Amino acid sequence: MIPMLNVVPGIHRSEAATQEWLAGIDVGGTFTDFVLQNIATDVVHVYKTQTTSGDPSVAFAEGLAEVCAQASVAPDQLAAVLHGTTVAMNAVIEHRGALTGLITTRGFRDIIHIGRHQRPQHYSIMQDIPWQARPFVERRHRKVVTERIGPDGAILVGLAEDEVRQAARELTEEGVESVAVCFLFSYRNSVHEDRSAEIIREEMGEVFVTTSADIAPQFREFERFTTACMNAFVGPAAGSYLGRLTRRLRHDHIAAPFRVMMSNGGLTTSETASKRPVTLMMSGPAAGVVGGQRTGKLVGRHRLITFDVGGTSADLAIVTDDGVVEASARDTYVAGFPLLVPMVDVHAIGAGGGSIARVDAGGAFRVGPQSAGADPGPACYPRGGTEPTVTDANLVLGRLSRDLFLGGRMTLSHAAAQAAIARLARQLGLTTMAAAAGIISVINANMAQAIRSLTVQKGRDPRDFGLVAFGGAGPLHAAEVADLLEIPEVIVPLYPGLTSAVGLLASDLKYDEMRTVFMAEPNIDAKRLREQLADLEQGLRGRLAADGVAGAEISVSRHLDCRYTGQGYELRLPLPSDHFEPAMLVGFHELHRQEYGHASDDPIEVVSMRITAWAGNRSELIHGGTTAPRMPQTIEDRGSIFRQDGVLVSLSTKHLHRSMLTSEESLAGPALLFQSDTSTLVPPSWNARVADNGMLILSKSRSEGPQ
Amino acid sequence: MTTRAAKTIDPITAAVISGALDAIATEMGHKLARMSYSSIIRESEDFGCVLCDREGRQLCESSQSTPLQSGPIPGYIRGINRRFDEIGLTWNAGDIVMHNDAYYGASHGPDVAFCIPVFYGKELVGFAVTTAHHLDLGALSPGTVGIVDATDTYAEGLRFNALKIHEEGRVNQELWRILADNIRIPRLVLGDMQAQIAAARLGEQRLIDLIGQHGSEIFRAASEQLMDYSEAALRREIELLPDGRYEAEGWLDGYVGHPDPKNRDWVIRVALTVAGSNIHVDLTGTSPQVDKPFNMPFEGTVDVAVWLTIRSVLLDSSLHDPVPTNSGLFRPITITAPKGCLANPIFPAPVIGRAVAGNLLADTVMRALSTVMPERVSAGTGNLKAIAFSGKRADGAPWVYIEIIEGSYGGRFGKDGLDAVDTLYANTRNNPIEDVESHYPLRVTRYELREGSAGDGQWRGGLGSIRDVEFLSRGGYSIEGDGSLHPPPGLFGGEVGTPGAVVLNAGSDHEAHLPTKLAFRQATPGDSIRLIGPSGGGYGPPARRASAARHQDSLNDLTGAD
Repeated sequence: MIPMLNVVPGIHRSEAATQEWLAGIDVGGTFTDFVLQNIATDVVHVYKTQTTSGDPSVAFAEGLAEVCAQASVAPDQLAAVLHGTTVAMNAVIEHRGALTGLITTRGFRDIIHIGRHQRPQHYSIMQDIPWQARPFVERRHRKVVTERIGPDGAILVGLAEDEVRQAARELTEEGVESVAVCFLFSYRNSVHEDRSAEIIREEMGEVFVTTSADIAPQFREFERFTTACMNAFVGPAAGSYLGRLTRRLRHDHIAAPFRVMMSNGGLTTSETASKRPVTLMMSGPAAGVVGGQRTGKLVGRHRLITFDVGGTSADLAIVTDDGVVEASARDTYVAGFPLLVPMVDVHAIGAGGGSIARVDAGGAFRVGPQSAGADPGPACYPRGGTEPTVTDANLVLGRLSRDLFLGGRMTLSHAAAQAAIARLARQLGLTTMAAAAGIISVINANMAQAIRSLTVQKGRDPRDFGLVAFGGAGPLHAAEVADLLEIPEVIVPLYPGLTSAVGLLASDLKYDEMRTVFMAEPNIDAKRLREQLADLEQGLRGRLAADGVAGAEISVSRHLDCRYTGQGYELRLPLPSDHFEPAMLVGFHELHRQEYGHASDDPIEVVSMRITAWAGNRSELIHGGTTAPRMPQTIEDRGSIFRQDGVLVSLSTKHLHRSMLTSEESLAGPALLFQSDTSTLVPPSWNARVADNGMLILSKSRSEGPQ
Repeated sequence: MTTRAAKTIDPITAAVISGALDAIATEMGHKLARMSYSSIIRESEDFGCVLCDREGRQLCESSQSTPLQSGPIPGYIRGINRRFDEIGLTWNAGDIVMHNDAYYGASHGPDVAFCIPVFYGKELVGFAVTTAHHLDLGALSPGTVGIVDATDTYAEGLRFNALKIHEEGRVNQELWRILADNIRIPRLVLGDMQAQIAAARLGEQRLIDLIGQHGSEIFRAASEQLMDYSEAALRREIELLPDGRYEAEGWLDGYVGHPDPKNRDWVIRVALTVAGSNIHVDLTGTSPQVDKPFNMPFEGTVDVAVWLTIRSVLLDSSLHDPVPTNSGLFRPITITAPKGCLANPIFPAPVIGRAVAGNLLADTVMRALSTVMPERVSAGTGNLKAIAFSGKRADGAPWVYIEIIEGSYGGRFGKDGLDAVDTLYANTRNNPIEDVESHYPLRVTRYELREGSAGDGQWRGGLGSIRDVEFLSRGGYSIEGDGSLHPPPGLFGGEVGTPGAVVLNAGSDHEAHLPTKLAFRQATPGDSIRLIGPSGGGYGPPARRASAARHQDSLNDLTGAD
């Protein structure tokens, strides 16, 4: 059953017998998480330590040494080291990147400043516009040169190479460390950008250079230029961080290949990641979604909503039969900046355990997006917080155990939670219990609303999906949120607090490439399309080959983004083979009918092509490692408050350790299941059972209770 | 007229329903943007999506909506109701009503509404409405901007006054045929209209579902509570202002150089009176109406410009808790404008170009607030321009493309003005150059900030932009705009900004300055049009500008003349 060789693509184990451990390391804002898994035996070790925010490579290296020591794994027993990182995202959010220069088409110095001439907020005079207030490239470092490519790729004005050279010299004098080259229509013909990059390297030596056609060969100049400038801005910092990690691994005698997670849910080499750090923005959250996807797969579910709820935010994503759903290029933003790179569509809302409940000046009841965070945290934490939060509400309602929170690592103060909620209740004119239940109702409704926007609004019926709940607070809210959407099943993985790190172990090596083409019926040039598809595919195969993947291991999928001529938004049409024929476009009409309820006889326009090449990960993760079955045994029964038919009732609720649940029998709610990193709520009319592989499955009872 | 809810509901249910309403409107917006054909809707986002209660009061709007599109929607419903009363029609299930009559509540002709009455069982519970700017409605020249020679509203294109394009579920095919026969680019425009209907239908269905979940009584109570909430939020801020009368005036160029002085130099006078938690805006003293299409419908343009500005200053979303945009925000504000003035024209005075006048009105209202809210306003903003490009393709098919050219903001307390953005009640998006050139025989040869043009001040004005567009084949264009003569005013000792301009064939030996109000004119291949946006006024005395800020501007080449 267990593949012995080449579990992680591109990683050929010369000594199959000894190199049998995979390490997944996810660096988050607060914690750095480690998962070690033995490929042969499925034994798993986990570890968590505080992130060293000054230099995250410190906690990375020390923690890896620690978990290896705990597991008695020697450095040469590691088969691969897989990493999720916030380094690129932090550089953007904190606006700490390289001194960056831009070389662009004469006449267009301010494309990245004017943007789409739209204000982010309709109703605000005092707002800042991110690209004007925090530009990646100051205007003085934006140089224009004579050149122009036309919309069909023809060279209208040749490149003035001497001007590029001059600009490069000026940028050197100005101390610029990183350069983006952004010309109009370079997605149709990149010859001027490529030549300019060469000249810059000649003039500026080892400077970091990005061209817009290389990073995102798609139309819409503001978005493409911004993507290239962001890449240049974070490039040197990301490169130096990954370089430090690589050196540190070598120093610690870890020769195993090192891979980094990208926003698209695929792994890449540290060399590629260093060149294209803009692809790392959502590294950790994407790993979480992949982890959620694998969790679902292990219980035979392929349509999933991943529900990752932490202290501050709920990160939601969708997995369908076709895989993880990606954000459309039109709706992809990072820290307020548009970004044209493939990303898992992780929808984050300000709803988590630390979300603060309050009555605003106008008397409206709000929960979040403000959060008490981890420090001071909810009122019930022993850190001096006084604001009533979602966690406090859960505690007051008897949905958390004061002694078993985080496996008992922290004792919660019931009195402090009670006092904080009581203050809020007085403002609302409600009882404390009603206020606490109200907090849960609103936060659950917000989360359900967000799921609805990813499902119902996109033509997906949430009732066909399972909810994979993880993060510290996900399993506590999942079943009730599922109820609001009539989602029949909730799945909780073995290590809900480490899902991103687990997801790293389950990821493919994967690259995507898009290219804008603009061809409309009846003028579809099938030959040119085929050539371009082949060209893109060859490029991706080359990248995978460079990563050590054999040709036979590579899978490729091809799509065309199409629309009716005149429309502005595209739908993604899968291509059945690499031999494109215009007749394949017929499928678009059906796609349009599905999406919008009607098709048209208007001509179809192919806007861009999209190729994904990957080498699949064949490890079956993470198998249970379950111990001998034990009978369900309650620690105790306690009263917990639930809303039934709109009325608050106290129901006797079983409290158990999760490990007490067996795969033989199912447990009827209400119940609370505790484990070291989370608590799972099984509401009345829900059942819980454990699958053979240790996954916890909650399902809605067929018959509704006595009422 | 407001009906007090028979029932009050708990704040938790209110919060849940409020979130659901916003999500529905936003979903309508997504559908409209994605299905529509013309760039002015899908790229520029010049559209609005709103749900109203059964009395036509706005409950929510889509986040992508342009304020000038969503804000007028309650006025459209009032106008339709007025027309229905006159001719004895009623709302029935299965109706879809098309409306754009600026003398019956519409904002102006090009912004056509599709309005669906929502019935829950047999009970009328609300309206799902979309508005959008259409590319062409069969006026005298191609496109719906730059119809600057219209002398009355009949010349502005097709007028739809409460027309049932669907009546109790039956499609009025004759009406569709009139549209197809009178519009130059029917495939695009009718496709856009279908997208509007589809988005409104979606809103209808979602609203029925929502009421099904909560019951119509709870829904009504929540609606009242939401509007009361927004009203109270605005009243609280007004109460903080000292009572008094605050005045300002603003100047529009009108038709520069026109022989008849009444067609030039139009003034807008604002007297804003704060009394307790109410604001009254009196526009007495504003120039008389003109036989030119820059009069502003009192309902649909003037009211939206006034409340939107007050709201953006007093409930600035970057500084204030989010406040739902709904009809409650109108309640603390009353407006008067004498009949027959620019801000309250008498039928059939033309109004199609009212956008730039309304934006100057918004700017003037903001200046009136400056004495009492000095830290929340900007100095004078630069106004907008719109240009319609048109021509025929090789196969003879006509094309029309509309661009909106941005202005800029004036300096603000502690901050320079925003550069090159849509201002105040307009918030559209430009079209990517790479999209324009891929689809029209046009070439954009420059798009940059206008160096050295900011109004100086302790915090300088924002910079306008320069956009050069060249015709690659024979075609034509028409322009409507303002702000090429009167500069955006400075504030608190700041200097004035710089007016905008339009230049034909700039830099060539047949360079010519064009007016910002230009009727259709032919273009030959190689003709290029330079559109220059005005730059905002300065805030505070220039002597107080930090030397570091001046140094930065100089390093960034923002101070030199272009």
